[in-house]
Amino acid sequence: MQANFTRFCKLDEVPPGGKKALKINETWVLVCNVKSNVTDRLFAVSGICSHQFKPLFNGRVRNCRITCPVHGARFDLETGAALDLPATKPIAVYEVRVVDDWIEVKI
Amino acid sequence: MGNQSLEIAQALPPGAARCPQEPSTQDIIARDRVAAPAWVRCESYEFLGDEDISIDRYIDPAFAKREFDTLWNRTWQFACREEHIPEVGDYYVYDIGRHSFIVTRVAKDDVRAYYNACLHRGTKLRPSGTDGCASEFQCSFHGWSWHLDGSLKESVCAWDFPHVDAGKFSLPQAKVERLAGFVFINMDHGAPALAEYFGPEFMAHINEWGLENRYIYCHVVKKIPANWKLNMEAFMEAYHVIHTHPQVAVSNADANSQYDIYGEHVNRFISSLGVLSPHLRGQYTEQDILDQFTIGDSSMLGGADRTLAPGETARQRMADIMRVMFEQGTNTDLSGVSDAELLDCFSYTLFPNTFLFPGISLPMVYRFRPDRDDHRKSIYEVFFLRPLPVDGIRPEPVETVYLDDDQSFTEAEGMDPGFGAILDQDTDNLLLQQEGLEASAKPGITLGNYQEIRVRHFERAIDKYLQGGA
Repeated sequence: MQANFTRFCKLDEVPPGGKKALKINETWVLVCNVKSNVTDRLFAVSGICSHQFKPLFNGRVRNCRITCPVHGARFDLETGAALDLPATKPIAVYEVRVVDDWIEVKI
Repeated sequence: MGNQSLEIAQALPPGAARCPQEPSTQDIIARDRVAAPAWVRCESYEFLGDEDISIDRYIDPAFAKREFDTLWNRTWQFACREEHIPEVGDYYVYDIGRHSFIVTRVAKDDVRAYYNACLHRGTKLRPSGTDGCASEFQCSFHGWSWHLDGSLKESVCAWDFPHVDAGKFSLPQAKVERLAGFVFINMDHGAPALAEYFGPEFMAHINEWGLENRYIYCHVVKKIPANWKLNMEAFMEAYHVIHTHPQVAVSNADANSQYDIYGEHVNRFISSLGVLSPHLRGQYTEQDILDQFTIGDSSMLGGADRTLAPGETARQRMADIMRVMFEQGTNTDLSGVSDAELLDCFSYTLFPNTFLFPGISLPMVYRFRPDRDDHRKSIYEVFFLRPLPVDGIRPEPVETVYLDDDQSFTEAEGMDPGFGAILDQDTDNLLLQQEGLEASAKPGITLGNYQEIRVRHFERAIDKYLQGGA
């Protein structure tokens, strides 16, 4: 199925340092507005950890990485790569853009 | 420094000789425009003997095992900074040998260190080398979980474990104390309090520094092919500067650096910068000294006027430049900081494995740990700490940079390349030293009475722990 940009939420619903999870077409998507020493941008990734499929929603984001709050696996928000055990598989990453103050995710 | 100097030294009590015909560190600092505080303007040297130090401690795997059995489980170790775990539920995993700890903030002023192992069948509750935030610690194997306060939350299928008393199934803890933004842990519940362990002199020093008001802007980790003690001792003296770091010696009072010891667990040197090495007397001008000045973050000095006026000293100009440029570059207030604190290398060893550098130009923390499986390898970590911005907003600690074994420190993101080159020079000696000690026909290393007192003091503490003392 071809991926298309879909409206996620209004930009002000994910302020700098914040994150928000929503289901799009049965897929949990997590948008993180990262404001750090390294970067200042939006990321969209799977909202589900690749390890035991637990929600990543409450994971801590630091330096473009999210840590699963359940077992501690970390993922690169840019590439989705699993950085630590217990995860060995990546999470999906999605293109994200802002159009007319709306965050849109390509899924 | 020829035969005449040797004869004079031999006539003095052991350890009393100092670099001849040169100002002392205290003399250099006393000339500064902005005077140094009391913790700088003091000396605490003691002669501790001149016997050789046995080399088995560096090359014998049985010695390393004894260290794990008698030293690492009884000493206070820097596990993380408080800034790593600012919020309740934040955690940082600290490993030493086979041991692993989840250092976590349970409440605003309550930090604990849990042994990082499930009490059911032992799986690590959090992977080593990670940090994050949790509302509970759940094992990834069968799902047993513990509250942040360490009490058992759930044993899955509790009906099958009637023999488990939940009240006795809390996560075991190490002792934790916090000091100047550092979280220290100790596996020995009978260990003295941290302040007693470090002693009153050092506590008076660190309480002046305000290191809690700094943040980590660079953190680099590299595995070094040498025993952890050799790795540490490479940084305990300025005696090696003239030979290992010739580019630094032009602006470093190396042979007339000051060495101090404080109790059993702390020692230091003060190595003045912006001053010509005694080894190079008469060979360089004050302008040369200024031109070759190396600091931990030279990007701060871009565009500064580096041309000296007649009669002006490199040291004073450098202090003046740094005061202005560092304040601008890092948005910090250095008005209360002395010239010596701005310029000089203050290196404190906190036994067993941490160095603190409370100065501004060289604002590092080093941590050394033995490889858990190989006594010939060690883990070297370099943190750079900057004063907090005046706006009070604390930047998050940076992501750790892990270098490959053959990578240069000059490649580490966030580290000044000139400083990285110095660390390369230091660590490049270490494989040769490790292998040389293994090849040596001489059973001990020989130390200078003054310039290498920190090595002797450090090894004396090692011996005390291994002999069951301290």
